[in-house]
Amino acid sequence: MDIVKGYEEEFNQLVDIYEKNTEDKSLRNPSVATIIVSGNKVVGLNSVKGMYINSKVRNDGLVMIDVEIEDNTVIPIPVHLCTGFLEKTGEQILKFNYNIGSNVRVKFKSHCILTKVEKLHHYMESEMYIGKNSHVVYEDEHFHDENGGVFVETITKMKVDENAYFASKFYETKTRVGRINVVMDIELKDNAKVNLESKIYGQKDDIIDIKEVLRLNGENSSGIATSTVFATDSTKAHVINEAYGNAPYARGHIECNEIVKGSNVSVSTIPVLKVNNEKAELTHEASVGRIKQDQLETLMSKGLTEDEAAEFIVNGLLS
Amino acid sequence: MLRLENIKYSKNSNDIIKGISMKFEEEKVYGIVGNNGVGKSTIGYIIMGLSDYTVNDGKIFLDDNDITDLSITERAKKGIALLWQEPARFEGITVKNYLTLNKKMNIKEIEEALNLVNLDPDKYLNRLVDKKLSGGERKKVELASCILLKPKYLIMDEPDSGIDIMSLDMIVGVMDYLKNKGTTLIVITHRKEIARKCEYSYLICAGKVFLEGESNKIVEYYEKTCDTCGHINYAEEA
Ligand SMILES: Nc1ncnc2c1ncn2[C@@H]1O[C@H](COP(=O)(O)OP(=O)(O)O)[C@@H](O)[C@H]1O
Ligand SMILES: [Mg+2]
Repeated sequence: MDIVKGYEEEFNQLVDIYEKNTEDKSLRNPSVATIIVSGNKVVGLNSVKGMYINSKVRNDGLVMIDVEIEDNTVIPIPVHLCTGFLEKTGEQILKFNYNIGSNVRVKFKSHCILTKVEKLHHYMESEMYIGKNSHVVYEDEHFHDENGGVFVETITKMKVDENAYFASKFYETKTRVGRINVVMDIELKDNAKVNLESKIYGQKDDIIDIKEVLRLNGENSSGIATSTVFATDSTKAHVINEAYGNAPYARGHIECNEIVKGSNVSVSTIPVLKVNNEKAELTHEASVGRIKQDQLETLMSKGLTEDEAAEFIVNGLLS
Repeated sequence: MLRLENIKYSKNSNDIIKGISMKFEEEKVYGIVGNNGVGKSTIGYIIMGLSDYTVNDGKIFLDDNDITDLSITERAKKGIALLWQEPARFEGITVKNYLTLNKKMNIKEIEEALNLVNLDPDKYLNRLVDKKLSGGERKKVELASCILLKPKYLIMDEPDSGIDIMSLDMIVGVMDYLKNKGTTLIVITHRKEIARKCEYSYLICAGKVFLEGESNKIVEYYEKTCDTCGHINYAEEA
């Protein structure tokens, strides 16, 4: 692991918070590929065979990180991306460029550690190309400050080439959201497969926007996008799932479940399905409503209070 | 003792339960039999106190304490439990979490409960209690959950429904097990093999207790008369 000289303390602080939240010790492990960003500085970098990471910080503070993975590379241990912010206020702008070759297998574990800030705009724009026959998993977990001062925007544009597989999980369920805007826009080539999942727990006056777009441009491509939002207090949540069936035998399914608790929440969902090829097939499922009464009463009949039952059900939904 | 006293319940101005009184003494096995739609499940839900089943009239007593106005949770804490006819599904909850409700519990005890309902703990502890379980598997998990609750009173709503015929022995075995542990069973059923296990039964017709007494006699009457009657308003006319 290359800890960038002069940033040892920030590195250690971030890693400590990460380890406390996740019980995962791999950030200090030399055989794990890592990218650790604190504020507008890359404080730690570790590559593995077949993978090249380049970082650059522009004068205006924008952090650019290029990740390239060679054809036929299999990375057995997840690559860790850790972005944190240790000052009280500010802005963090990150631009990731992933170029993943053919026949690659890799899993990314991304963590956003924004637990110590009062007011922060975290903006992350990513572009990812996944080469033919590759298998890529991206898990993104967020830890934000409990006072709601974090505004996270993550905008991802992707292209998944022939016969490749991409799965993503975006979770912000353990800490306060603040405000979040997640956009995922994915183009699928022939036989490509994509599975997107996002789960967010809104409290107090959190604001949640999710937009997931599947462009099924390849023959026999298939994609699923599922969003689950648990909205409590006066949370506002708006989810848009779109699927475009543009090729023969393309199949898409979008699903949005918003569970509400409390009379001040405001949630909505808009599914968009558009078929440009008569052999494409798109479906959607959407629900907005309270926790199901029969689920609550089943648990209450085992001695849980209504609140305990609701917590139990929601923990399952968001797990 | 659990006692219903002249319970009346109507829904959307339909009288569903029309004045029912029943007694369930400790450590006995009771049957509630009757045709479809006569109000058997409704009686179970009223005893458990489900939110849609607030009675219009009458009282429920547990050991001479009036529990008519208690919540589901309070009734559960007093030892009343319900084996649902069609148990709800839960996403993201493992069988193990469901059985323990995230409380500390001896794993041996959990495994014993699963073995009692013919589910292999190795295969099922980490399965999810969601739509992917078959109806029979889900019902068995629910039965295991009820065993672990160690209730004083267990209402079993059609314990064999959704479960294959080969598992009838298992259900009868669980009933014996629970009885030996001191649970009073209130079994809603129209299956002979199960009704035979009951000591005392109530025959329900059109929201009323039409007959009650020694189980074998009630079941015999039910099979001879009600099976072919299909006349759910009979009690009204009788
Ligand atoms: N929530 C409800 N709303 C309206 N009618 C109901 C409701 N629950 C039960 N009923 C009616 O009450 C009657 C008794 O139902 P139930 O107790 O389920 O019968 P059983 O269990 O004996 O088959 C039926 O006629 C049924 O249609
Ligand atoms: Mg019934």
